Amino acid sequence: MANIAIKTKINQKSWLKSERGFIIFVVIMLAFPFVLNLITGTGLNEGVTKFWQGQLIIFFIMTVFAMSYDLLIGYGGILSFGHAASFGGGAYTFGLLMKHWAPNFIKNTPIVIGNTDITMIVVLLIVFLAVFLVSILIGLMFAVTSIRLKGTYFAMLTLALSTALYIIIKSTDLHQWTGADEGLHGVPLPVWLNPTQNRLTVYLISLAFLVISYFLMKRFVNSPTGHVVIANRENEDRMRMIGYNPVTFRTIVFVFASIFAGLAGALYSIWNMSATPTMMSVVTTVNALIMVIIGGMGTLIGPIFGAGISQVIQQFFYTWFGARWPLVFGLLFIFIVMFVPYGIVGTYRMHAVNFQQGRKRLFKHFSRQEESPREKEVSG
Amino acid sequence: MNRKNKKILQTILIVVVALGIIVGLYLYAGQRAFVSTIFSGLTLGSLFFLVAAGLTLIFGLMDVLNFAHGSMFMLGAYIGWQFYTNPTFIFGIAPLALAFGTGVMFISVLKPYVVAWNLSPRMQKLLPTIAYILAAVVIVFAVLGFDILALADTAMVAMTTTTVGNPLAEISPQEPLEEFWIRPVLIMLGGLLIAFGSSKPGDKTQYAPKENLGKAILVPAILLVLTVVSVFIRESAPVSVLLMNGNIRFLLSILVSVAFGFVFGAVIEIILIRPLYARPTFIILMTLGLSYVIRELVQFLWDPLTYQMARPPLFAMPGKAASIGEWLRNGNSTIDILGVTVPTYRLFIIALGIIMFALVTLLMTKTRLGMIIRAGVQDPEMVEAMGINVKSVFTLVFALGVALATLGGIGAAPFLPVQPLMGDAYQTQGLITVVIGGMGSYVGAFVGAMILGIARAFGDYFALKLSLSPAIAEASTVIIMVIVLLTKPQGLFGKKE
Amino acid sequence: MSDVKHDDLLLVDHIHTYIGQFHILEGVSVRVPKGSITVLLGRNGAGKTTTLKSIIGLTPPREGKIIFDGMEIQGKRPYNIANLGIGYVPEHRAIFRQLSVLENLKLAERKKGDFERSSDFIFKLFPDLKRLYKLPGNHLSGGQQQMLAVARALVPENKLLLIDEPSEGLAPILIQQMMEAIETLSHTTTILLVEQNFIMASQLAKQFTIIDDGKSVSSGLMKDLVLQPEVIHRYLGASIKTRIELEMEHESKE
Repeated sequence: MANIAIKTKINQKSWLKSERGFIIFVVIMLAFPFVLNLITGTGLNEGVTKFWQGQLIIFFIMTVFAMSYDLLIGYGGILSFGHAASFGGGAYTFGLLMKHWAPNFIKNTPIVIGNTDITMIVVLLIVFLAVFLVSILIGLMFAVTSIRLKGTYFAMLTLALSTALYIIIKSTDLHQWTGADEGLHGVPLPVWLNPTQNRLTVYLISLAFLVISYFLMKRFVNSPTGHVVIANRENEDRMRMIGYNPVTFRTIVFVFASIFAGLAGALYSIWNMSATPTMMSVVTTVNALIMVIIGGMGTLIGPIFGAGISQVIQQFFYTWFGARWPLVFGLLFIFIVMFVPYGIVGTYRMHAVNFQQGRKRLFKHFSRQEESPREKEVSG
Repeated sequence: MNRKNKKILQTILIVVVALGIIVGLYLYAGQRAFVSTIFSGLTLGSLFFLVAAGLTLIFGLMDVLNFAHGSMFMLGAYIGWQFYTNPTFIFGIAPLALAFGTGVMFISVLKPYVVAWNLSPRMQKLLPTIAYILAAVVIVFAVLGFDILALADTAMVAMTTTTVGNPLAEISPQEPLEEFWIRPVLIMLGGLLIAFGSSKPGDKTQYAPKENLGKAILVPAILLVLTVVSVFIRESAPVSVLLMNGNIRFLLSILVSVAFGFVFGAVIEIILIRPLYARPTFIILMTLGLSYVIRELVQFLWDPLTYQMARPPLFAMPGKAASIGEWLRNGNSTIDILGVTVPTYRLFIIALGIIMFALVTLLMTKTRLGMIIRAGVQDPEMVEAMGINVKSVFTLVFALGVALATLGGIGAAPFLPVQPLMGDAYQTQGLITVVIGGMGSYVGAFVGAMILGIARAFGDYFALKLSLSPAIAEASTVIIMVIVLLTKPQGLFGKKE
Repeated sequence: MSDVKHDDLLLVDHIHTYIGQFHILEGVSVRVPKGSITVLLGRNGAGKTTTLKSIIGLTPPREGKIIFDGMEIQGKRPYNIANLGIGYVPEHRAIFRQLSVLENLKLAERKKGDFERSSDFIFKLFPDLKRLYKLPGNHLSGGQQQMLAVARALVPENKLLLIDEPSEGLAPILIQQMMEAIETLSHTTTILLVEQNFIMASQLAKQFTIIDDGKSVSSGLMKDLVLQPEVIHRYLGASIKTRIELEMEHESKE
């Protein structure tokens, strides 16, 4: 109910105004490397500037991954522990193709238009298309299993499935392809896409990816299909009665979320030029889950906060609490689950009216004080 | 009638297929490999059952999926290993834990009086808050300077100690009693404050009869006595325990581990799970966080290392026994069964699994508690409406489930490396077992665990034979689960939704 | 409503109950005098079942009072309320299907020996159950399950029985048997009955309360209600009429 109310409010406002916060965020992020460059004086591809670009690249990619998870859990009401399968699947598809297929292809069939060699572009397009398809397939796999199972039962199944995938990807039998335990390292990339040589490009690509993904997901959530998905979360039987097949809509959410997760995984494997089994493990899903919970489920903007905070925590908790910082983090997480279940954004929205009124009262208070100090006593 | 026929046909089909598979495997693998694989399968199955039994009961009764179950299994192994190797840690923290428990348990005595106070609504809100803050302060003061890490290190030190007469001789002495006594006293005070706060002073709508006060005082009184005893035996008990016969010590460490699991489970249910029953998804998230915390806590106390618990003497002597009698006399590490060498400790784990299954069966079919659980699996609301306090049954079942998991942990400790992630694989397999057997069915958990264990063992056997890695066998258990789910979505013994 | 009459065993005073965010009961008041049958009438979805659940505490009311035997019981936990001496027979024959008949009855014990004390009476009332007492609940027919559900509430000593739709989905001959059983029970226990079958209700009950759309709209003596067809028609509507017609059809067939 609350969601629908918020949505109509957004529709009434102009688009620019309703997304004001996000646009400011994007502008700041766009300017960030250049501003830091000016302040510190180090080059764009070195020192502090480079380091922080790297941190933000991880942040952007994890944000998209967490947002796609929010589609599942927050909007679809589906608790899946297999979302990392899409992330890792995307990463491995990208890594495997780039490492084992692309080099031969580039050598044997150069594609040249005029004077420019576009082989690399074609290869990247094909590889990303493959990532796209694999993500759809993984999404479909989980959607199919969700036909007969719901709720906790389904959560357990996804856990088992993703564990199985994780075990397979790190098994020694596939060592020559996947690199087993150590993962797939040294994924060859063209110079312009190489994060060590050209970090700014990767930075801008990830930022663009975040912006595009955010608006596509927002569009999806506000579309009629998105509304049915949300209604399904609230009451599946009722939706079935009025003629919507919940399975269809669940499948749509799964595939849609899986595509973004897969692309995020592929980008991540560009960023660290490798694909590791951890990317496919339940730990990765749980990380996304933590981000969504901290930010607020079913808000889409929440995961940005969640990803940012968990990034910061990973940066600073170590220095604050030493090697056992996850202990503090775990306790914090339990606290959030128990007492702030709607996360930052959700809690803010619940109390938004109170906050605004409080702010107004505060302004009134001060303006009055300036006019006539005596009135303050009366009102106070 | 038709449905009945179909069911019979189905059962016959399943039995025939199962027999076919077994005979096929026997012919393929030959007797030796077959028997030894079956034994390792049953061993795994027993451990799976100990994990899955708790999971399935907890899920069936209260729809709670405990993702911290594997961590509790691991914690059981650590506690048992500590007690067996060097109980200084356990005896060192027991006074504090018992003192806290005593304080909190006095709620049953406090509540009837406190509830009847005449307080303004403002005070009703204010008093508990003050009590909680005071309790926090008092407890912080109580544990200030208490070197828990040194205490936890004792087991690690003991492993390198070679002194036979007094294994604790080289360990730095603990805090003397003259300084120590204030800690349990303060902690008990903290517990009392918490009891006071949570008994809702002045809230007359609370149901708290004064009639059975005699009964209510029993538990805190026993705890009080135990606390006092534990304070005085803190330093002497570890030595006397270590001088005991190894087998008895192992038995004791099993008991300690199980008791710990029971209390720990009850505390977790009351503090963390009870407030979340209205939001099932958040219970899953909370248990996820909990498993994280437990794992980190263990690494905090005992460093992120892998330990190997020594086998108790009954299973320790190198050499093969020809018969069970010889094994029991000499304590051989392996035994000859049908021409196959089987580690004796495996037999112990198998026996443990079967005994626990028998006990759970007895509990579920013969006792009133079992009746309540079976009824509650179907409709907890109706059970409550009949005058049974379902919430306390929930607590009890959760505690029992965790106790079973910790029992599995200590059972596995002499046989698996004791390390912070040891429970995870068992939790996953336990979840698969529960899905195969059907949520809420302990029989299903047993049958599912045995099927899974044997399948896993044969998977390992084939993987070895086809020179694949054992990971493939581990992953292939998921296939069994998928097959069961596609043919019987509610599991082999599950209730129909 | 504030003047509590001394012979009222149960007094429900303007309760408001919410299920989730839905306001189901918007002021229901019921008086149940000691020693007789009171019936709650109303259309499907009017809030009769929720009223019973509010009394036993399964859906605790947010506002209003429920006084049982001189004690305020609203807001207490269901098991506390039940232990004061209220037996609850839910709708849809909610027996425990995994448990045998005997276990179902044993589970209802509040004190040791409750079952031994009451078994003769129960088996006299429902002779079928004695024959079936080892069978699991899911092997019982619908009528037998309903009998078991009622029998379960008779095991402990109860001052008040809340019975929800005992005739629902039963064959006419079983309805007759159930009516006789309830009639017998009313000699020893006070009963609050929810019943759609108006014929049955009018024969059994001494008092009635009509609930419509979450509010209690009318209450009084049953013998006055049968003389007011327009009230019956207005609040109980077509469903009752068809029920009566169905009854008559059944009778004419036999």
